[in-house]
Amino acid sequence: MRIEQNKSLATKLEILTDAAKYDVACTSSGVNRKGNGIGMGNSRAPGLCHAFSADGRCISLLNILLTNECIFNCAYCQNSCDCDVPRASFTPDEVCKLTMEFYRRNYIEGLFLSSGIQISPNYTMEQIYQTLKQLRDIHHFNGYIHVKAIPGADPALIEKTGFLADRMSINLELPTAGSLKKLAPYKSRHTILSPMRQIQSGIVQNKNELTVYKNAPKFVPAGQSTQMIIGATPESDFQIMSVADALYQNFGLKRVFYSAFVQVSSSPLLPALPGGPPLLREHRLYQADWLLRYYGFSVNELLSDERPDFNLYLDPKCDWALRHLECFPVEVNCADYRTLLRVPGIGYKSAQRIISARRTATLTFSDLKKIGVVLKRALYFITCSGKMMYKTRLEENYICSNLIADRQQIPKDLRNSGYQQISLFDSSTLGAAAIPQESIIQAELSSMR
Amino acid sequence: MYVFICENSLEGILTGVYDACASRLGHRNIRLYTGELHNYELFTEYISVTPSEKKAKKVIDTLISRFGRQFYESIYQAAMSGETHSVDKMDKADAIYETILLALASGDGQKVLLSLGEPCVYRIFELCRSTNREACRHLEFLRFSELENGVLFAEIHPKAYVLPYISEHFTDRLPQENFMIYDATHQVVSVHKASKGFILITASELDVDNIKRHSEQESEYRKLWLTFFDHIAIDARRNPKLQKQLMPKRYWADTPELARFL
Repeated sequence: MRIEQNKSLATKLEILTDAAKYDVACTSSGVNRKGNGIGMGNSRAPGLCHAFSADGRCISLLNILLTNECIFNCAYCQNSCDCDVPRASFTPDEVCKLTMEFYRRNYIEGLFLSSGIQISPNYTMEQIYQTLKQLRDIHHFNGYIHVKAIPGADPALIEKTGFLADRMSINLELPTAGSLKKLAPYKSRHTILSPMRQIQSGIVQNKNELTVYKNAPKFVPAGQSTQMIIGATPESDFQIMSVADALYQNFGLKRVFYSAFVQVSSSPLLPALPGGPPLLREHRLYQADWLLRYYGFSVNELLSDERPDFNLYLDPKCDWALRHLECFPVEVNCADYRTLLRVPGIGYKSAQRIISARRTATLTFSDLKKIGVVLKRALYFITCSGKMMYKTRLEENYICSNLIADRQQIPKDLRNSGYQQISLFDSSTLGAAAIPQESIIQAELSSMR
Repeated sequence: MYVFICENSLEGILTGVYDACASRLGHRNIRLYTGELHNYELFTEYISVTPSEKKAKKVIDTLISRFGRQFYESIYQAAMSGETHSVDKMDKADAIYETILLALASGDGQKVLLSLGEPCVYRIFELCRSTNREACRHLEFLRFSELENGVLFAEIHPKAYVLPYISEHFTDRLPQENFMIYDATHQVVSVHKASKGFILITASELDVDNIKRHSEQESEYRKLWLTFFDHIAIDARRNPKLQKQLMPKRYWADTPELARFL
């Protein structure tokens, strides 16, 4: 470990930004708060993205670590104590100064503070708490704060911190307890899930208090989120989505983030990824995540033991629709909202617009186009006043080959790797080995009830 | 056919609406037009409209009392949009005029705004969307820099006239700061004094030398911001196309982190 004293603020920022950047949960959403006229800051529920970095990710919050000194040795993490990287620590003062000055200039929407585990989980959590307290009480910062709860920290510390933050998160890191044990020996499912449960019950309790006392202090008003690393361990998409679904159902999470594994350390426990991080897989998982949260799908509809991974060629909704052609075609002028949501090419906004627009007039295909429906996907699945847009057949292979024939619809990664037209259910190309996974998933989910 | 040529402002357009209704020429024979005409049509009479605060106020009052604030707000947002007319799209003033007529005929303004099948209503929807998007992006991509006298200064080039909206946002967000936002497209400046509201002045009153003198701290924090911006990107995920898609290049010049790459 390299130890260097008296680093400049710029050097520290460099090191601690690099150390923090693999945490993707950089959103500032979920809380509406007006300015208080005295301090600095307000917050808008949809969140604001202040810039977009060279990798196309949004920069909403000042995403830094308090320190990258860490006593843990998680194999996937570049801050693990086994890695030889420059180390640095911010003082609470420095974090406050950076946050306030960046916020004033409208560079950021708030602070996203995380930390390596220095000395002990309790010590680290205390440092985070002190920083937040200083920011809120001395600098009167009223903007968004997202903070990590440190696994294994004292519940009392986590509670105190929760009253200062807008969102808290504890990273699940890996989808199954087995992988966690292998790659992050100092972390366990228990130390991750118990603070998650604590925050959840804190939020519920606080909501009850707020209905009685309007001015009661708010506890984690923007809810909690978590993150899983994708592709470092051999879990299937089915396992990952089942875990995510359990987190939404049983822990009341606002978001689950999926982070394609980027090779940062050369641990022998990790897979080599010559093709770069599995970005397309990550994309498919996010698409499915939206289907779970906004479109009324359940995991078992999208994936199953026989089909444990998403089709890389088609998005999960198209893929589902092709396997359920008995539900189609849908008549746009009379189908209910939930049915419309299930049509490929119709998003929740266009479904809402369809519902309101058809009150006054019968919709035609050109109206749908104006409303924002993606007709090149939707046309196989809908009728307007009983007519389809073109003469199309309601056949799986026909629709599939037409959808894939449009090169724009094929993700770039696959196009560049010299794709050939495939049959949709060619399992060898999709790499779906049918291992019975029901038992693993069941064991996993029972730990999360 | 009669064409009323209005000034491209809320007042101008609503005065046009008032005059068009008062002219009694028949709604079918009337079109409204914003901005300057380049091509004249045969058998068409062109009537230019002088903006009048009184007439516009009358229209606004009618809209609010008959159809509610929300309806008026949609009309207002549409009028603020930078788009006026193009070859294949309906003129802004014409869309507003026809939508108001539809609302008057049906009596329910909210319901009219939902019938996107009507070309004029769809146009209003499009214009509102573009104004809102522009406003939202300026809340995000606007950058202040600190001047020698401690005032925060920002320059923006918005397509739509969104300055009042974003000034309100920053007044709420930075109540204890003195700040100025200079809208270079519309040549208007909003000025906010600590713990007061903001006022709008014309750009000719702006002290041009003053806004170029940054404070000592400014360059330091700018450098720190650039450091953060460069280091937060993950090299293995580089995707300049996505970056451009999410933050179009026309916003780059006004931000310190991306102006470097132009």
